[in-house]
Amino acid sequence: MAEQELSGWKKGLEEAGNQVSFFTGFFRNVFAGGFEWSEFVRQCYEIGYKSMTLVGITSFIMGVVLTLQSRPTLVKFGASSMLPYMVCVSIIREIGPVITAIICAGKISSGIGAELGSMKVTEQIDAMDVSGANPMQYLVVTRILATTLMIPLLTLVGDVIGLCGGYLAVNLTDHTSWSLYFNKCLASVDFTDLLPAVIKTIFFGFAVGFVGCYKGFNSNQGTESVGLAANSAVVSASLWIFFLDVVAVQITQIFYY
Amino acid sequence: METTRQDIATHKKGAKAHTDEVVVEMKDVRKTFGTKDVLKNVSLSLKRGENLVILGRSGQGKSVAIKCIVGMLTQDDGSVKVLGEEVAEKNDTELKELRTKVGFLFQSGALYDSMSVRENLEFPLTRVLKIHDRAELDKRVEEVLDAVGLKDAIDKMPADLSGGMRKRVGLARTLIVKPEIMLYDEPTTGLDPITSREISELILQMQQKYKTSSIIITHDMECAEITADRLMVLNDGEFVAEGTYKELESSKTEFVRSFFK
Repeated sequence: MAEQELSGWKKGLEEAGNQVSFFTGFFRNVFAGGFEWSEFVRQCYEIGYKSMTLVGITSFIMGVVLTLQSRPTLVKFGASSMLPYMVCVSIIREIGPVITAIICAGKISSGIGAELGSMKVTEQIDAMDVSGANPMQYLVVTRILATTLMIPLLTLVGDVIGLCGGYLAVNLTDHTSWSLYFNKCLASVDFTDLLPAVIKTIFFGFAVGFVGCYKGFNSNQGTESVGLAANSAVVSASLWIFFLDVVAVQITQIFYY
Repeated sequence: METTRQDIATHKKGAKAHTDEVVVEMKDVRKTFGTKDVLKNVSLSLKRGENLVILGRSGQGKSVAIKCIVGMLTQDDGSVKVLGEEVAEKNDTELKELRTKVGFLFQSGALYDSMSVRENLEFPLTRVLKIHDRAELDKRVEEVLDAVGLKDAIDKMPADLSGGMRKRVGLARTLIVKPEIMLYDEPTTGLDPITSREISELILQMQQKYKTSSIIITHDMECAEITADRLMVLNDGEFVAEGTYKELESSKTEFVRSFFK
């Protein structure tokens, strides 16, 4: 059948169909055998280790700012001793996962989109395909699984660093010991706070990897499309993160509270 | 040393070993993009050991034709057979199997720029032929790099290579799996005349060494003269002329002759 120019909603439907096809193609290739372990480990290093500094700095600043901003209000109500509790719950449940995922959407999703987009434009993906190798397995499966694994780990690291930032901020105005601060923090959260937060970061990680790979893999010819792929990867991944967060909060409310 | 027409003729005489066995056959192939008919009832056949050059202006469907051969595009109508098998009827696994017998050299070389030359060459060996023995990998990589004259570039990154070297490495990566058929998409585009000639001569040498049958898409007439056993001219989605270099050079059609000016 001749390719036809589709417009408006038809293009939207075509795009949705392509995404579903890409999604099923990913799962088919995950279980197809011949997993690219070395590339997966390399991607975990690139995505996880190399994002650690950015996530760490951002989380630390978020911890400091959150504590400094919250303290006056709590003091007004005579609840300044609740500060570690509030900071910890906020960071573990919401701020840690969402901020980490948004940072990763900006850094990783755009990076993957630009890298695969550039490979597409320079015919490297076509060359891989034509040689009989499987670009989906080598480029897509490894990257999506790496983000799915690494973003939860980065979030946990970010949470701890964010709490350290909170400790520093508490000590800018008061004096609280390290052990007292962290005892209060740990006493304020339990399994039902941590588990849903970790589970949703797995979905955030998948979204970051999937969107980056999809946009890059399906970019058009021309260098302009590389920038477009990177740009739309960040926008789409960020929107997906917020959407998934709303869904995750609703599900958590139903099961735990 | 300058390559004269006499040299080319001698070289080709040595290389000439094509049989009547047809390895690629396109029959009445039609391909449309939107409202544009890119290919209109295109038919061609490539014999084993033959070098077929497809000439044509840019945007006339040359690349589309060879992309149909390797299954990157599917024709809207007609038949494309490679080694006797209908390409459009193949599923993903069968297509991958068939592609191991067909090499495709892209215009840009399409080297994987995150990998060194060695890793580029090992990629199809480990992923397609499933060779993981270190000694065997080294032997094959060195052999093919030696054949294209780039043994010293083994540990270089693609970014450190010149245009001609990238084409050579691209050719080496395609030939390393020993395909039966080679498809060249404008192999000399963007190169200086001397490097273009070297690449054209290399194509001919590789055909002799690896006993491949080739389809070469070009509008570089020197490349066509050096490599072609037979030429076909594509214009507006249809083949308008066919023959040897000499025959087409003195064609009665002005359009065909214009390529040789």
